[in-house]
Amino acid sequence: MKMSDKPANVTKKAKKTQKDGSLYILFGLTFVSAAVFAVVFGESMYSARNLRSMAYQMPEFGLLALGMMLAFLIGGIDLSIVAIANTSGIMAALVLTGAWMLGLSGSALIAAAVAAGLTTAVIFGLFNGFLITKLSASPIIATLGTMTFYSGIGMALTGGKGITGLPSGFTSFGTAEILGVPVIFICFVSVAALLSLLLSRTALGRRMYLYGENPLAARFSAIDIESIGFWIYGVIGLLAGMSGHIIISRVNSAKVGYGDAYQLQALLVCVIGGIHPQGGRGKALGVVCAVVLMQMLSSAFTIWQFSPYAKKLIWGSMLIVMLGLEYLSEKRNVRRELRQKVVH
Amino acid sequence: MSNLVLQARALSKKFVGVQALDKVSLGIETGTIHCLAGENGSGKSTFVKTISGLYQPDEGDILLNGNVYTGLTPVQAMREGVQVIYQDLSLFPHMSLAENIALNRLRLSGAKIVDWKKIWRIAKEQTEKIGVDIDLNATAMETSMAGRQITAICRALSQDAKLLFMDEPTAALTRQEVDRLLKVVQELKNKGLSVVFISHKLDEIFRISDNITIFRDGKKIGDFASGQLDEKSLAYHMTGRDVRYPRYRRSLGDDTPLLQVKGLNKQGHYQDVSFQIRPGDILGLIGLLGSGRTEFALSLFGLNPPEEGVVVFEGETVRVASPVEANRLGIALLPEDRGSQGLFKERGIRENVTSTLLGRLASGFRALDREKEREIAEEGVKKLRIRAPGIETPVGTLSGGNAQKVVVAKWSAANPKLFIMDSPTVGIDIGSKAEIYEMVQSFARGGMAVLFITDELEELMCNCNRVLVMGNHRIIAELDENAMTQSDAERRIADLIGGSAGKEVEV
Amino acid sequence: MRDLMGDLTGRIRHRRVNATEGILAGIILLYCVMVAAVNPAFLSVETLFDIVRSSSTAVIVGMGLLLVMLSGGIDVSFMSIALFGSYVAAYAMIRLKIDSLAFAFAVSIGLGTILGLVNALLVNWLNLPPFIVTLGTQNLFHGVMTTFISDKTFGAGVIPSALSKFGSATLFTLKTRQGVMGLTAAVIPMSIAVLLTWFIVSHTLVGRGVVAMGNSPESARRAGFNLLKLRLFAYGYIGALSAVMGVVYISQVNAVYPNKLVGSELMIIAGAVIGGVKDTGGRGKVLGVILGITIIYLLNSTLIFLGLSSSWNNFFVGTLLVASVGVTSWQNRRKNRKNLLFTE
Repeated sequence: MKMSDKPANVTKKAKKTQKDGSLYILFGLTFVSAAVFAVVFGESMYSARNLRSMAYQMPEFGLLALGMMLAFLIGGIDLSIVAIANTSGIMAALVLTGAWMLGLSGSALIAAAVAAGLTTAVIFGLFNGFLITKLSASPIIATLGTMTFYSGIGMALTGGKGITGLPSGFTSFGTAEILGVPVIFICFVSVAALLSLLLSRTALGRRMYLYGENPLAARFSAIDIESIGFWIYGVIGLLAGMSGHIIISRVNSAKVGYGDAYQLQALLVCVIGGIHPQGGRGKALGVVCAVVLMQMLSSAFTIWQFSPYAKKLIWGSMLIVMLGLEYLSEKRNVRRELRQKVVH
Repeated sequence: MSNLVLQARALSKKFVGVQALDKVSLGIETGTIHCLAGENGSGKSTFVKTISGLYQPDEGDILLNGNVYTGLTPVQAMREGVQVIYQDLSLFPHMSLAENIALNRLRLSGAKIVDWKKIWRIAKEQTEKIGVDIDLNATAMETSMAGRQITAICRALSQDAKLLFMDEPTAALTRQEVDRLLKVVQELKNKGLSVVFISHKLDEIFRISDNITIFRDGKKIGDFASGQLDEKSLAYHMTGRDVRYPRYRRSLGDDTPLLQVKGLNKQGHYQDVSFQIRPGDILGLIGLLGSGRTEFALSLFGLNPPEEGVVVFEGETVRVASPVEANRLGIALLPEDRGSQGLFKERGIRENVTSTLLGRLASGFRALDREKEREIAEEGVKKLRIRAPGIETPVGTLSGGNAQKVVVAKWSAANPKLFIMDSPTVGIDIGSKAEIYEMVQSFARGGMAVLFITDELEELMCNCNRVLVMGNHRIIAELDENAMTQSDAERRIADLIGGSAGKEVEV
Repeated sequence: MRDLMGDLTGRIRHRRVNATEGILAGIILLYCVMVAAVNPAFLSVETLFDIVRSSSTAVIVGMGLLLVMLSGGIDVSFMSIALFGSYVAAYAMIRLKIDSLAFAFAVSIGLGTILGLVNALLVNWLNLPPFIVTLGTQNLFHGVMTTFISDKTFGAGVIPSALSKFGSATLFTLKTRQGVMGLTAAVIPMSIAVLLTWFIVSHTLVGRGVVAMGNSPESARRAGFNLLKLRLFAYGYIGALSAVMGVVYISQVNAVYPNKLVGSELMIIAGAVIGGVKDTGGRGKVLGVILGITIIYLLNSTLIFLGLSSSWNNFFVGTLLVASVGVTSWQNRRKNRKNLLFTE
């Protein structure tokens, strides 16, 4: 027993450093950029005001990124998250502004609006899940279709115009703070922490990783991948819906087309955060770290007054470079594995 | 010497730690059918891949039509008239058969423009050459396995094959189709082609080949003229004398059936399957590929719901609607395709072994019991003698035998009552084979019921105390414990499988 | 597993010649009858010419997309390439005072092909989903153009006359009650693209090679095809066609914007998917793409006749796309399950 214990522990350690290597690099990168920005910008970056404004901006985008992460982990992709966020926000706004007053007012009205918005988001998410897991549609094509469909619903409901004049009771949620920390930021951190625990500690999390790596083997291992996938897309819808609510409460209006840039950024953050686009690998912590890094970059771009085009250039090249690095590290791992290939 | 189309001289090829070919010398005569016999992993395929230019030999050289090569590229091999039909046939599923036949030739001829008339002419010419009639308009996807096989042959012929390798060409064919194919092969020989047939089906080897070369553990055991051998001596040479498997006999007293299957039907898959299995039984299910055996096994595991019939498990009528349900009942399946269906290759042994029993390591949203998980994985490694540096070793790096043991461990950890094993020893070495047999028999001794699916008579005879023979999508015979102890049991089963040919017409 | 396919499909020979195309043509016909019944004004040469004009650009680039999807890949950067090529061409013409249509096409096609080749190399090397890779290059290309070349808008007065003349040129004119109607000259590049693509796909070895690769990369390799070369061809081809489309587009709108086109990839992809092109590769027809795109543009330009505002566009296109994806993947899944294939 003792004999066999030792090699097991050794490889365990070896594997940990190998697998989490990219995560450490990511931590390092984040801290280094934080330090560099501190030197370059000083006060303007780390003033309480700027920190707080970063904490306000992170959640809406971070929640979308967490949703994309879940889709990536099970070997899928969800291109409809921004459309879900917007249309869910529009639903809530329609209730809030009295288009569908339902004879309510005050906090009851707000509760009804949030319920309507989130329910819509979950239904949209589940519909994605239905197409992908029960009809076996390819995730890219299916969510490309539902993206058009969901934003089409939002468009048809609003005629493309913004819905403004949300009650202050609702918008104050977006600006509320506890001990100087925005409530929405606390929301985001709790969701991230919950997902992180779910993925790393529970049976469901393990099943998701196995599903993402090899859905066929997962099916043959008595893992109910169809139900898991179905509900996970529902959860993605919920996260997108939450993000949609944060967006409308921040801008104080709802409109098709808000947050379109987040689609690419969500994908990018997942790739930077070490979530493998073909499923089965990655950690929530990596995504959170990447979200922070992205936010710092965004703030830096704002201070530098970069044009949206320059941002596009940077995001696009970052995505390609990260994919390239991913590829290189994978190649190295394969070589390493071949070297230690075990012979019976 | 001039009548040799191929002469391999002292070919050696080593892969990370495995001597796949060990100084193999071999000559193939023009206009003969030469059979390469040997168990899985004996070096036959490595030899073929070396001749076709996919592998470079470490040592030795190859003479093709008088030209000496120390290593070939695929294009050089094709120019010398070497054509290989791999087991997967390498066809294009959504393209017509005509195009499947002619495309490679057009490609090699360096044509830039596709002349469809020429495609059709090539395709017709080849099908006429071997005297078969297939629908050249149909896509490969729509064509039967036999039709695809013929298509692959025509494609090889269209490229002026002089030496045609066929890797297990009959594995997926029905008896009738095999007959037709063997006739075609005979026809090719008459036209002066050399055909190298790779097979481990003894009866076919004798029916068709002029010469037989036997491989074992990367070495050539010997060249024989077909008449020099009989099935017994061939089998002896293929396996070597030292391997003798223990014969299983059921010792449990309790005869209450664990599973009863009554009149199970699925259109196009299997018909009217009825039998029962008791704890401690190792029930063999033998039949050719395509006999309906895998289809049936999947039904019991919830992946191919039957249309009619009753399944009674532990005295209760059950509907196994999904693998989750099967697992809950205590039914496990070791799938046919280990690589894609059985393993998470990038994951370690630990996560593979516990993948079937995660629900038992934690309930609901509570945390997994890591300590227990590690114990289970270590126990599996120990019990099945999986040779690996540790429980975190990615299973993709394990040898075939050890990887298969991981699949066995993963299901035995779930403590199933019925363990269905679909071709558990395909592609694994003899040593691991023996260990897996030993494990299976000890499971059964402990009260597990095992449904053992195989197409190898030898392992059927040593492991199973009862046997079902499947052919034509139905069970054509059942041999009980008594019948299995008779000395003619093996002969009877072989005859039954062979005999199912005549009835094929009825389906 | 594989043994079964044969038995099941053995002699079932359904001539599925143009099944998808037939259904699409039927839908188009039915829809036209319906619109005409509601609003007889629909039945006119003007409507026809209008739809041809508006869909001509989409058909050109759709042909390129067909080739890429046949190869088993996908490209979402083609609008970025179209913009890059045509913008740079127009910019050069204005700067260098060259007023030649041939120059515009030559420069644009040259650039487009190069960018397409870049895509091919990245897809080939990174060995990652082409969707994510080309999403990266979409932003990269657009960013490079706007950051390093120019991000100015050139309006009607500045546009070289060769372009604006080509944009308003007609092949022939008809006198109608509303006045003189002409068929846009964009029909010429469109027809060339269609015929060329048809010829490549069905009558050249490289075209068959692309289809073969989409069927089975491994078999194509064994047949002696070089997969890198095939990818270079497919992505280079869509790059070139996108560039052609870009020039046609700026001629038609008679202006050059640095932010148009990009983001409207979806409609073309939707057209191809509705037209029966499979994102798994190896299946798809020229006629299918044309009909798929026709349906989308027909919907877009006829909602007015039904009394619906254009904000319903996405809703209907989305519905159509989701329905088409849902039905075809469900059929595919049933067939796979029957053959005991459990891959999604």
